[in-house]
Amino acid sequence: MSQTVMIHSHQRPKSARPVSTRRRRQRELTAYLYLLPALLAVIGITYFGVLYNAWISTFDWNGIDPDPESVGLGNYLKIAGDPIFWSALAHIAIFGAITVAVQMAFGFSLALVLGGPIRGRAVYKAIVFIPVVLAPAAVSTAFRQFLRPDGQVNDVLAALGLGGLQHAWIADPDVALFALAAVNIFQWTGFSFILYQAALSQIDVNHLEAAQLDGAGTWRTILHIVIPQLRPTHLTLILMGVIGSLKTFDIVFLITGGGPGRSTEFLTTYIYKQSIMQFHVGYGAALSIVLLGLALLLTVVQTRLYKLEKEA
Amino acid sequence: MFGRSTRRSRIFYQVLATIMVAPFALPLFWIVAISFEGAGAAANYAAVFTQTPFVRFLFNSLVISAGTIALVFACTMLAGYALGKLRFAGRELIFTAILAGLMLPAVGLIVPLFIMVKQFGLFNNYLAVILPLTAVLLPMTILLTRNFVIGIPDELLDAARIDGATTFGTLIRIVVPLSRPIIAVVIVWAFLNSWNEFLLPLLFLQETSLQAVTQIPTYFTSTYGSDVPKIFAALVLMCLPIVVAYLAFQSFFERGLTAGALK
Repeated sequence: MSQTVMIHSHQRPKSARPVSTRRRRQRELTAYLYLLPALLAVIGITYFGVLYNAWISTFDWNGIDPDPESVGLGNYLKIAGDPIFWSALAHIAIFGAITVAVQMAFGFSLALVLGGPIRGRAVYKAIVFIPVVLAPAAVSTAFRQFLRPDGQVNDVLAALGLGGLQHAWIADPDVALFALAAVNIFQWTGFSFILYQAALSQIDVNHLEAAQLDGAGTWRTILHIVIPQLRPTHLTLILMGVIGSLKTFDIVFLITGGGPGRSTEFLTTYIYKQSIMQFHVGYGAALSIVLLGLALLLTVVQTRLYKLEKEA
Repeated sequence: MFGRSTRRSRIFYQVLATIMVAPFALPLFWIVAISFEGAGAAANYAAVFTQTPFVRFLFNSLVISAGTIALVFACTMLAGYALGKLRFAGRELIFTAILAGLMLPAVGLIVPLFIMVKQFGLFNNYLAVILPLTAVLLPMTILLTRNFVIGIPDELLDAARIDGATTFGTLIRIVVPLSRPIIAVVIVWAFLNSWNEFLLPLLFLQETSLQAVTQIPTYFTSTYGSDVPKIFAALVLMCLPIVVAYLAFQSFFERGLTAGALK
């Protein structure tokens, strides 16, 4: 296509101006052509999907009825008064707060300690990072077994003399959400670790040496010099963690299925149940729009923050 | 950062590091250990191959991953090049429009996807997984590739044009070879996400012979009940390709996974 375009413009080098405008127009056309496949996918699937979602969300529809009843914003009003929706948001908030805080603290500590004089550093690093590349479906299945009352996790607690902490992790509605958070921490700490490791290698060593010459101990150096310098990494991890907990589906669906009862229901699992299992397609679509809206809001916050950070 | 490394401090760090890595090492060890229990390693692994459609699932996941990688790669290079180096009206607008999809989760689109898949008769068709996956992955890969391509010196592209190269020729002969580092990241990202995808195959590939490796645990649990060692043998086998790929291309994986966070 672009081949013919170029030959064409070579064949008629008449007056300078028309050629350059034509050439420019042809080059623009080429650019649009190059963007077409990506735009077809993004607009045809994502954008169309969001709009279609929004439209469906105004119906009380079971997904089959050819003539569904329009309810306007009724589904959204129903969401506002739906205790399961609000408890799902609370679960996401608790899950997000725990996983973000622990993964950051753990990942940072690992980056510091593995930066010390360690033999077999590469092996340690690989072990921490391998869970990140594993399928959540595989990790979830494994932990369903580990978290059983007679599973490996309780065995380890007993061996450590912490038998009092043993639980039926998945069956107990009081701890199931924390068990899910632990699985997420197992899987994603390696991500925080790698980011912190990269950021630590960028820190100005002179700064650290100066601080140590001034008599600041290791702790004070870390607290007052290292941690503040890693601000962009902290921000990134917080935002990605919050968005991540909003998107979390596989481990919840496969480990607790949102239960026991509704004690670990997430927005994602609720959407799945409403729209796929219970055929409340209109309501599921409205819930999806809320989820997409929250995700979009966080994306905007993220890009704004990056801009601010770059300018600062 | 930690002063002189005396013998005592070295031992201290070694012990501390070992304790901190244990929560990651233990579950990984358990997964392999459990797969050796029961009837024994040989019997468990043999059963996965002979008594279940594991090979078929593996093949399906390979097709899905290959298709997704190819599609993401093609769309990304074309769009990344256009957005990074070509001049045209509405460039920023189109870029922003693509970026808006950066964080949108596929699970938020299941209702429209379900209806679209039904409408186009794509149930039990790999495309029902490949196309939505591509749409969800593209914003990230295009962002990374565009930012990389912008850094390629204009002089190189101008020189190619003066030598008579077409726009497409420049893309193939100059931009693609120079973009190898970011292409590796794009491929790793697409592979990881398609190989590990659980929801889309669950929704759209319901025929047993078309399911993906991520459906293996569910399939096993419903078919073989609680033969836990065999389920774990299957887990090891489904994780093996991605772990081997990670160990072989560590830096690409680490960069691929974190590149989105760093840009």
